Amino acid sequence: MSLELLLSIAFGGAFLTYFLGKISSKLRNGFAVLNALALVVVTAMFYGQNIEKPIHISFLNIPLILRMNMVSWFFAITIVGIGLLSIIYSLKYIENEKKLDYYYFTTLFINASMLGTVLCGDLVSFFIFWEMMSWSTYLLISYKGGDRALFAGMKYIIMSIIGSMAMLLGIISLYVNFGTLEITALAAHIQGASLSYILFILIMFSIAFIIINAFWPFHTWLPDAHAEAVSPFSSILSAVLVRKGMYGLYLFMYMILGLNVLNKLTFWGISFNGVFCWIGAITIIFAALTALLQNDSKRILAWSTVGQGGYMILGVAFATSLGMAGGTFHILNHCIYIGLLFFVAGAIEYRTGGIRDLNSLGGLIKKMPVTFTGAIIGISGLIGLPLTNGFVSKWLIYKTLILGGNPLLAFFAFLGTWGTILYGYKFIHNIFLGQLPEKFKDIEEVPFSMQFPIILLSVLVILFGVLPGLPLKMINSVDAYLGFESLQVTLGGIVSETGTLSTVNIFAALVFACFIIGLIFKVSRRSTKVDQYNSYAAGAAVPKDKYHYTVSFYNPLDRMIRPYLKDFVDAFYINFTEFIKNVCNTIRRIYTGYIGNYVMYIVLFLALLILVQLKWSVF
Amino acid sequence: MNIIEIILSPVIALLMGLFFLGLARKIMARIHWRYGPPIYQPIIDIIRLFSQKAMSHGFIFEMGIILSLAGSFLVILFLPIGIMCPLSTGGGLLVILYVMLLGPLGIALSGGEAANPNTSIGISRKFILALCYEVPLLLIILAVITHYNTISIVEIVNRQSMSGWSFGSLPLLLSGIAYLLILPAILGIRPFEVVGAAQEISSGPSVEYGGKYLAFNTIEHGLNEFIGIALFVNLFLGGGDLFGIFASFVDTVLESILGVIVFLVKMIIVFVIGLFINAVYPRFRIEQAVKYIWVWPTLLAFVGLIIVIIVH
Repeated sequence: MSLELLLSIAFGGAFLTYFLGKISSKLRNGFAVLNALALVVVTAMFYGQNIEKPIHISFLNIPLILRMNMVSWFFAITIVGIGLLSIIYSLKYIENEKKLDYYYFTTLFINASMLGTVLCGDLVSFFIFWEMMSWSTYLLISYKGGDRALFAGMKYIIMSIIGSMAMLLGIISLYVNFGTLEITALAAHIQGASLSYILFILIMFSIAFIIINAFWPFHTWLPDAHAEAVSPFSSILSAVLVRKGMYGLYLFMYMILGLNVLNKLTFWGISFNGVFCWIGAITIIFAALTALLQNDSKRILAWSTVGQGGYMILGVAFATSLGMAGGTFHILNHCIYIGLLFFVAGAIEYRTGGIRDLNSLGGLIKKMPVTFTGAIIGISGLIGLPLTNGFVSKWLIYKTLILGGNPLLAFFAFLGTWGTILYGYKFIHNIFLGQLPEKFKDIEEVPFSMQFPIILLSVLVILFGVLPGLPLKMINSVDAYLGFESLQVTLGGIVSETGTLSTVNIFAALVFACFIIGLIFKVSRRSTKVDQYNSYAAGAAVPKDKYHYTVSFYNPLDRMIRPYLKDFVDAFYINFTEFIKNVCNTIRRIYTGYIGNYVMYIVLFLALLILVQLKWSVF
Repeated sequence: MNIIEIILSPVIALLMGLFFLGLARKIMARIHWRYGPPIYQPIIDIIRLFSQKAMSHGFIFEMGIILSLAGSFLVILFLPIGIMCPLSTGGGLLVILYVMLLGPLGIALSGGEAANPNTSIGISRKFILALCYEVPLLLIILAVITHYNTISIVEIVNRQSMSGWSFGSLPLLLSGIAYLLILPAILGIRPFEVVGAAQEISSGPSVEYGGKYLAFNTIEHGLNEFIGIALFVNLFLGGGDLFGIFASFVDTVLESILGVIVFLVKMIIVFVIGLFINAVYPRFRIEQAVKYIWVWPTLLAFVGLIIVIIVH
């Protein structure tokens, strides 16, 4: 198997899907699934390989280089995995929409270009794939049409272009200075460069990666884009596309510069990594508290994506083997549970006719038990409850922060978890618990092709939480490639000299406790099932349909924290775009498009010239 | 030995939790100049409740309460009671902090399915209050972790028996006071009795429980009191240590028994102090509780953490 083949399948499949769609929609759907499946199989076969291979297509005398290593493999498998599930999920979810050929083509194309970014070995192709990814994402965010989707897409592409331009500046500067853009060659050359130049390069690239990662203060595009995109694509967006920014940071911080150079980057007592840690901490708190105030199911998840990015960067920027393992594992875990949660939100939309407003849902647990199970497992992972995958990675990150002597950062990370509990519970409560409104009493569970991704990802959340040794072995080899020591892991836990974690023991104890209590529960007197209106209201009757306490669920807290949570960056963005719009409108008054006006301008200008000539004889 | 501990510590916690509930009713009654029920009244109630008729609202209504109780028992396996700590190598304070979430979450899920507005209001208040007291609590725990430079709670207890209780050591004094200030909020007693406010929202999350559900809920409530106080005694009052006078019976059964007794006596003292506060204060509104906790205890805990960081 060669890397060219992998990329050809990815890109070729995308185009072929589009043309097959012109013949028959069944053929197109089948082919899209097969193509995504083939990508998963082929990518999986590259596990553990280390390839670097020039291809004879050159640009500016720079050959295109493809490479595969553990870091690329790690990101590639998440891309193709979520890609496959998303395509399967789309089959039913999207079937009644228009422009389906376009939808499948763009989804597969985005997957292919994301694969390109992680598989290329030089910065020119990296930039080209990156741009392909950004533009096709823009097309898909605005796929549904309508003002809000167009606004979200526009916001995304503007932010994305700012990032790309910063990156382009960095690439040009690197080429001018070193005459090469191959990643391995650059890694050797840059060790001799001056520290201030390295800092400049790093900042230029970091801007691009921070924007795509949606760290504070460049988070403003994400909540809009994720909420407005179609749900299967929100999954891709949130689980893997956003994390291409993490790949970029891995590439620059650890593959090109390396830990030695990074440790030297300290100016006036502020280290580069330290700044990243604080950006992470602010991102966590800001996103967790803002998510509390949202009333839109997908917006809550979008804000949680912003917040979880903070945990990753905290682990990764701390740059110890424990922190890297935590950060890298958190990327994988987040990919699993946020993908799952967007599928859940999509399933609710699918069955309720597109309702995302948390205030008008409720009681769906009785109608959609599989989706509910997915939601509760996903939210547990997001919170990081013990026995879910999120717990293990967060445990690693907290331990890094505490052992690294930084309790304040640990405090922010911990507090973010409590914020997560609040909005996570709100998500479950407002959608699935409480009173079922009369209008939803005939709702059914989603079809199997939509249940399948939810079930599979739920199983993964629990499996990786109980047996963290499985993924951590792979993550160890990712970190080993970046030059970090491996963590000592067993199948059911982590062993280290400063404290061990045994998830299998916790699992056994919890199952045993549940069993004993369940036994007592069974042998004691049976209870009678009652309907949802049979509840105690201090003598008053509970009115139907109107007594679901979900609106303003955290109202007392909301009133207190809202004034302090002004999103200055978003306000700046909106004001700035308003300003540009006004300037353009003013210009449009002159540049009207009527020939008559232009003739008038020309005549006036000529008259001015004649006047000047007659008066001062300049010409 | 370990098997005995695994069986014994949940049993101790269960009996102690129920004893707390009985003690609370008795002491409150005496403060009100009433005679009050016998101290073993909660145990009688629970036995009675198991045989009574109950209504169920669905699957999660039942599973949530089981999960919550199992979660609370799980926390107890991680908490040292005297020198007993069955899962001492399980992951330390970080795991305790996270397993402690299972209790409230289980109750919240279970209560959520009951579709009773009072329940939802109670849960919403519980989470807001928890978010509030978690701010100082995390600062306090991080101060202790930083001071002893370990995340193992057993290690923290051992270090105190060597170098004196945390509450008496100067760097951790402010943190200890901050913990005492938020203890009523953790235990859910006045002035922070916003969650189970009987007169306002019909006991909040537990309004829909009857029969065996109410029995489980009462046990869970007792365990919750036990955990909140046990954490304080372990972190600040030296666990089962009494100024090192048990040094002569190290590694004997006698030491375990004495350790447990000393530990429980310390817990009762702390709980009775809490009851006195409960008896004389009226209830805060939730906004007042948030404001209070985010000003005084948080300030103390923050200064405490800064002092610990500076000292090290």
